[in-house]
Amino acid sequence: MRHLFFLALLVAGFDLTGGAQQFATREAHISFLSETPVEDIKAESQEASAILDVATGGLAFQVPILSFHFPKALMEEHFNENYMESAKFPKASFRGTVMGWDPDGDAQQEVVAKGKLDMHGVSVAREVTGTMTRTTSGWMIGATFSVPCTDHNIDIPKVVSENIAEVIDVTLTATLLPR
Amino acid sequence: MKHVSFLRASVALVFAGFALASPLSAQDDLMDFFDEPTGPQVVTSAFKAGRIINVQSPETSGKGEMNFIIAHRFGRISDGAYALWGLDNAQMRMGLDYGLTDRLQVGVARSSFGKTLEVNAKWRFLEQKSGGGSPVSLTGYSVLMRDGMRFPEDGIGRLGIHRISYVHQVVVARKFSPEFSLALIPSLVHRNLVDQPARANDVGTLGAGFRYKLNNRLSVNGEYHYLLPRPIPDDPELRNSLSLGLDIETGGHVFQLHITNSRGMFERSFLSETAGRWQDGDLYFGFNINRVFQVGSRR
Repeated sequence: MRHLFFLALLVAGFDLTGGAQQFATREAHISFLSETPVEDIKAESQEASAILDVATGGLAFQVPILSFHFPKALMEEHFNENYMESAKFPKASFRGTVMGWDPDGDAQQEVVAKGKLDMHGVSVAREVTGTMTRTTSGWMIGATFSVPCTDHNIDIPKVVSENIAEVIDVTLTATLLPR
Repeated sequence: MKHVSFLRASVALVFAGFALASPLSAQDDLMDFFDEPTGPQVVTSAFKAGRIINVQSPETSGKGEMNFIIAHRFGRISDGAYALWGLDNAQMRMGLDYGLTDRLQVGVARSSFGKTLEVNAKWRFLEQKSGGGSPVSLTGYSVLMRDGMRFPEDGIGRLGIHRISYVHQVVVARKFSPEFSLALIPSLVHRNLVDQPARANDVGTLGAGFRYKLNNRLSVNGEYHYLLPRPIPDDPELRNSLSLGLDIETGGHVFQLHITNSRGMFERSFLSETAGRWQDGDLYFGFNINRVFQVGSRR
């Protein structure tokens, strides 16, 4: 009996600390759109990673540049070789803190994540507005924001300036589960 | 005694349980989540275009991509001012390459040189991968060429099959850095009929090509093909093919400008029938223009 009591206490010891503190995914979805009168260029990645720490509000995203896929192979080559230089800068990331949110709230919340967007070797301080929704097992995060190419030293030569927008619209959705 | 020690152990374990699940561990840097190693990654774009200069690079048209290649080789630079250093006199090749998948391509082409028609297929059957994958990519290329010149009226009974020749080759390529790529290309040429008794039907060559990127849009390319010794004494006028050039990329086009001692732009000609001598100025200025059209779906 005493064995069982201590065993129960032992299990309770783990359980008493409550639910998970960190939520994460390796299958977040990031897409972007370059819109010009000449053409719209859209690319998507399903291989972004995201992690949220409920205790601190810490939030981080990371995506391999090579995981973005385009409708045309040539666009993908130019994206990796000429613009993002993915061999030198293989990943883009955001790390920051979610401001003014209620970790216990049930409804969808509008939040601001304040942090650094690191892309093409240039880190830029950003405040990104997005939404967070508590699900039965984790968190859903969504955000849409703009990235000016010049912010990250991404050079668009004159010959293709009619085809590629100076400001790229990025959309991100992630379903985070206990880590 | 036994029970006491069990109790102690249990209490220790309970505390260990609290410690392990403690919120303190949640304060660890979130970025460690990203450190877990990912699998090997395919190394792409070892070369800019489907050809280094004359010879195949490991690159193929992407799925659903039609690559239109128009190429010229002008006359000999040594012909001098009268022929505007060769520019008065051009040989042309027009080709279409289509990507059935991102790694398998089929093509047709017509050269004015020998009125040659070709059909070809190219398959990159092994990708170079970083992080524990293959250190090189392997690409197979086969081309069937049909000489279209009228048979001479010399009483020799030639057949249609005698117009045909084949080249098979493997491109072993490695992108050593974002700037530098190297390829080794062994080739086998087979001609159903040769035009001189002293010429061998089968010729082997061992080639090498490189690309060095000066910036994202400009690279220096070169290639050399060594004629392997043949079983019968061959035409002493044959030379190894040597070409040097520049790739210039402008959005949807790749312009390749070069000088070479080979006049023909199909494999049988530049691998096994090159006659120009670099030291005598038997050089041809030329260009390839690659224009890509997406005609089919990528998915």
